[in-house]
Amino acid sequence: MRAPGANMGILGGFRPSFWSVVTVLVVLVLFTLLILPIFSVFVVSFFDGKTGEFTLNNYVQVFTRNYYLKGLQNTLFVGSLGTLGACLIGVPLAFFTTRFRIRGQAVISTLAILVLVAPPFIGAYAWIMMLGSNGFITNFFANVGISIPTIYGAHGIILVFTLKFFPFVFLMTQTALKSINKSFEDAAENLGCNALQRFFKITLPLVFPAVSTGAIICFVLSIADFGTPAILGRGVRTLSTIAYSAYTSELGGTPTMAVTISLVMMAISMLALLAQRRILSKRRYASAMTNRPVVYQLTGLRNMLAHGYCYAVVSIAMLPTAVVIYTSFLETNGPVFTGKYGFSSYARVISDAPEAIVNSFTFALSAVCLIAIFSGLISYLIVRRDTAVSGMIDLLMMVPYLVPGVVMAIGFVTTFRTGLFDLAGTSIIIIMVYFIRRLPYGVRSTTNSMRQVKPSIEEAAINLGASPLRAFMTVTVPLILPGLIVGSLMSFITAINELSSTLILYTSGTVTMPVKIYISVLDGEFGLAAALSTILLVCTGLCVYTVFLLADDRESSFV
Amino acid sequence: MASVQISGLRKLYGDVVALSDINISIESGAFFTLLGPSGCGKTTLLRTIAGFHFQNAGTISINGASIEKAAAHKRDVGMVFQDYAVFPHLSVADNVAFGLKQRKLTREEIGSRVAKALRIVQLELFAERMPHELSGGQQQRVGLARAIVINPAVLLMDEPLSNLDAKLRVDLRAELRNIQKNMGTTTVYVTHDQEEALAMSDVVCVMFDGVIQQAASPVEIYKRPANRFVADFVGGNNFLQTSSNKGDVSLAAGGAAVGSVDADRAVLAAVRPEDVAVHVENAPVGPNRIEVPVTIDQISFIGREMEVHGRTSTGELLKAASRPDEIVLGQGEGSAAVFTFDKDNVSLFEDHETGQRLS
Repeated sequence: MRAPGANMGILGGFRPSFWSVVTVLVVLVLFTLLILPIFSVFVVSFFDGKTGEFTLNNYVQVFTRNYYLKGLQNTLFVGSLGTLGACLIGVPLAFFTTRFRIRGQAVISTLAILVLVAPPFIGAYAWIMMLGSNGFITNFFANVGISIPTIYGAHGIILVFTLKFFPFVFLMTQTALKSINKSFEDAAENLGCNALQRFFKITLPLVFPAVSTGAIICFVLSIADFGTPAILGRGVRTLSTIAYSAYTSELGGTPTMAVTISLVMMAISMLALLAQRRILSKRRYASAMTNRPVVYQLTGLRNMLAHGYCYAVVSIAMLPTAVVIYTSFLETNGPVFTGKYGFSSYARVISDAPEAIVNSFTFALSAVCLIAIFSGLISYLIVRRDTAVSGMIDLLMMVPYLVPGVVMAIGFVTTFRTGLFDLAGTSIIIIMVYFIRRLPYGVRSTTNSMRQVKPSIEEAAINLGASPLRAFMTVTVPLILPGLIVGSLMSFITAINELSSTLILYTSGTVTMPVKIYISVLDGEFGLAAALSTILLVCTGLCVYTVFLLADDRESSFV
Repeated sequence: MASVQISGLRKLYGDVVALSDINISIESGAFFTLLGPSGCGKTTLLRTIAGFHFQNAGTISINGASIEKAAAHKRDVGMVFQDYAVFPHLSVADNVAFGLKQRKLTREEIGSRVAKALRIVQLELFAERMPHELSGGQQQRVGLARAIVINPAVLLMDEPLSNLDAKLRVDLRAELRNIQKNMGTTTVYVTHDQEEALAMSDVVCVMFDGVIQQAASPVEIYKRPANRFVADFVGGNNFLQTSSNKGDVSLAAGGAAVGSVDADRAVLAAVRPEDVAVHVENAPVGPNRIEVPVTIDQISFIGREMEVHGRTSTGELLKAASRPDEIVLGQGEGSAAVFTFDKDNVSLFEDHETGQRLS
C-alpha cells in the first residue's frame, strides 16, 4: 500500500501534478531570494572581515565598543519612545472616532492612511524645512526674538516616528474597538464603574491585543527606519545609520560589521515580536458579537475638544506632506528659495533626474508583476493545500516584515556576487529585493480573498474538464482579482517608496526617486527633492484611491 | 449509459480508515444512493469517484474501463455540489457552457446544448442572469444543468438538496428523479436523509464507519435490514434485550417467544415503532401477538400520529407510533398500558453496533 498522497497525479510513469510543481517553484524562489541571503548575512557575521577566520569578535565589538553601544542605546530609545508616542496619540484617536460622533470620519481615516503610505524620509526633511536651523518656523520665531530648539536630534526622530507610525495603532485599535462586545462595558457600568474606570479596566484591556500589534509594527519599522535618523540624526546615530556607514566604508571588502549590526537590529525586532506573541497568548478574548457599541453624540465643549483633537492629530501628521507639496512649487536659485512660485523644480526633475522616475516605475512595476503572479500561486498553496510545506511558506511570509532593508540588501550583495555571476549594480538585483520584501503585502491580501472562494467552485471547474491550471486561471483568478489588485497596489506603494535597501544596491544607472530625494536633501537641494516627493506622493495617492474603490474593508487593507 | 464497478477500494487519512474495502456494482442507468450519518465515508467515496481524492488501494471502472488513476479533469463524470458551486462571475448560460468549452465544441453546438439543458431544468428564461440574482433552488438547477449538459457517463450528486428549505427539497427531489429517469444517466447520490434515499433510489447503499453495511432496494433495506445499524439508521427501531433458552428467544421484559436462533448467545430483538400498538384497556390476544406491559413515560401528539414512550418492567424504552387515539392521549404519565406487536414484525440481531441479522 502506498502512503496517502504519494500517488497523487501519477499517470503511468511519474507525472507530478500542477500544484506540486508550483510548490517546488515557490520553495525554490523563497529559498534563493529569502533564506539564502539572510543565511549568507548570518554566516558573514561570524567571520573576520580581513583574515576570513571564524570569530565571535564582531558581536563582541557591537556589545562592547562605545560607538556601537551608543547606537544600540539610541535605536532602542528612539524606537521605544516613538512607539509610545504613536500609542499615546493613536489610541485616543481610535476611541474618539469609534465611540463619539465625529464629523468627517472618512476624512480622518483617509488622512491617516495617506500619512501611512507617504515615504517616511519625506516627513523627516519636511520637518527640517519647518524646524531645521533655517526652517521657516525657526526663522519666524527667530525674527520675533525667540530661539526655539531645532528638530535635529533624538527628539526630532521621535517626533517624526510618532507622527509617521501612529496610523498603525490608530487603524488597528479602531477595528478592535468597533468589534468589542458592548455587553462587557455595560456589565462594568452595572457593577459600578464610572466612564474613566470602565475605559482603563475593561475597554483598554480588551483592545490590548490590537494596540500591541499596532505598537509592535511601529517598533519594528522604527528600528529598521533609515531615512529619518539619517536626515535628522546629526550626532544621534542609530543601528541602521551605523550599518549603512559601515557598509559604505567597508565597500569592496567584506561588509562584516555592517552585517553584524544589521543582524542585531533584526534580533531586536524578532525579540519584540516574540515578547508580544507571548503576552498575547495568555490574553485571548474571543467573544461572539452580540451587542454593537453605541456611538455617542457629544455636546458643547467636550464635542469641540474631541473634534479638535482628532483633526489636530491628522493635520499635524499631514503637515510635512503639505509642506513638501507647497515647497515643490517654489522657485529656487540653486539651493536657495527665491520666494516666488513656479515650476522650475519640476523642470529640474525633467532635466536632472528623469532616469530616477523611469527607474522607480520600471523596478516597482516589474517587481509588482512578479508579486501578483506569486501572490496568486502562494495564496492558493496556503489556503488550499494543507501540507507541511504550505504551512512553512505561510510562516516564511512573516520574515520579510522583520528583516530590515539594509540586511536584505547586504544579503543580496553577498549572495549574488559570486565568481559565476555578479548581479550587484544591476536592475535585476533591485527588482529581486523589491519582489521579496513586498511579496507579503500581495500574499496577505490575496490570501484573504482566496479564503472567501469555496473550494467546490474550483472542483466544479475541474470536474467539468478544466485542467488544474485552467481552473485556476478561468475560475479562481477572476474571483480573487479584487484582493490580488489591492495586494499588488499595496506592494507597489511600498516598493516605489523603498529607500533603505536601494541605497545599498543602487549605482549611477539605477537611481530611484527615493534615492534621488535622499541625495538631494543631503545636498540641500530641497526644491528638487520636493518636486520628486510630490510626484511620488501623487502616484501613491492614486494607488490609495484605487484601493479605496476596490477594497471591501478599506482601512484594514493598509495595516 | 454506463455501469460502474468499484472493487477493493480503500482510503486512509493518516491512520484513520475513511473507506475500507469498498465493493460496489452499479447497473447502467441506476439511481444509486449512498446513505449514512456524517463521517461515514459516503462523501469521501463520491469524491474518490470524481477524482478529488486518490485511493490507497482498489479500482474504479466505468463500463469496464478503469479510471482510478486518471486526473479529476479527465474523468467523464458530472458532479452536482452541496453548496451549488455555481461560478459567481459567470452568467447562467456561461456556467452551463463551461464544460462544453473545455471540450472544444463549436459555438452552435454549445448554444443548442446549453439551451436544451436549461429547458430541462426550467431555467430557459434565466440564461443571462448572474448567479447572485437566483434563489438557492435556481442555483442548484444551474448546477444540475451544468453537470448533465456534458452528457457524463456517471452523474455524481453530493447532498444537492440539503441546503434548500423543506418544501423545495421535496419538490426538487421528484423533479431530479424525473430528469434522471428521462436521461437514463447512471447516478450516484449522497445523502444523510433516509426519506430522500428511500424515495428516490433504485438501490440504497447504507454506509457506516467507512464500511458498506447493506446495498439493496429501498423496500429491502426497510423490510429486511441486514444488520442492527441499518435497522436503527433507516426508519428507527426499538431494540430490546432478550434471553434465549434452547434456541428460543424471548424478551427480557416478558411475553412469548419472539423467534429462535441456532445457538444461545446475546441477541437483540428489534421492532419498528409503527408496528407497535398501544392498549390501555383490554389487549386483543392473537396467536402471533407479543404483549409487553409498560408504564407510559411520555405521550407526544405530532399531528398525523402520536408517539408513546413506554417503560418496560426491565426499564427499557419501547416506542410506539400510531394514529392518534383519544383514549391513549387522555392517559397521564405513569399510567399502565400494554404494548403489542406481531411476532412476524420482530427481527433479531447480534448484540453489537453492527450486529448481523439472525432471522
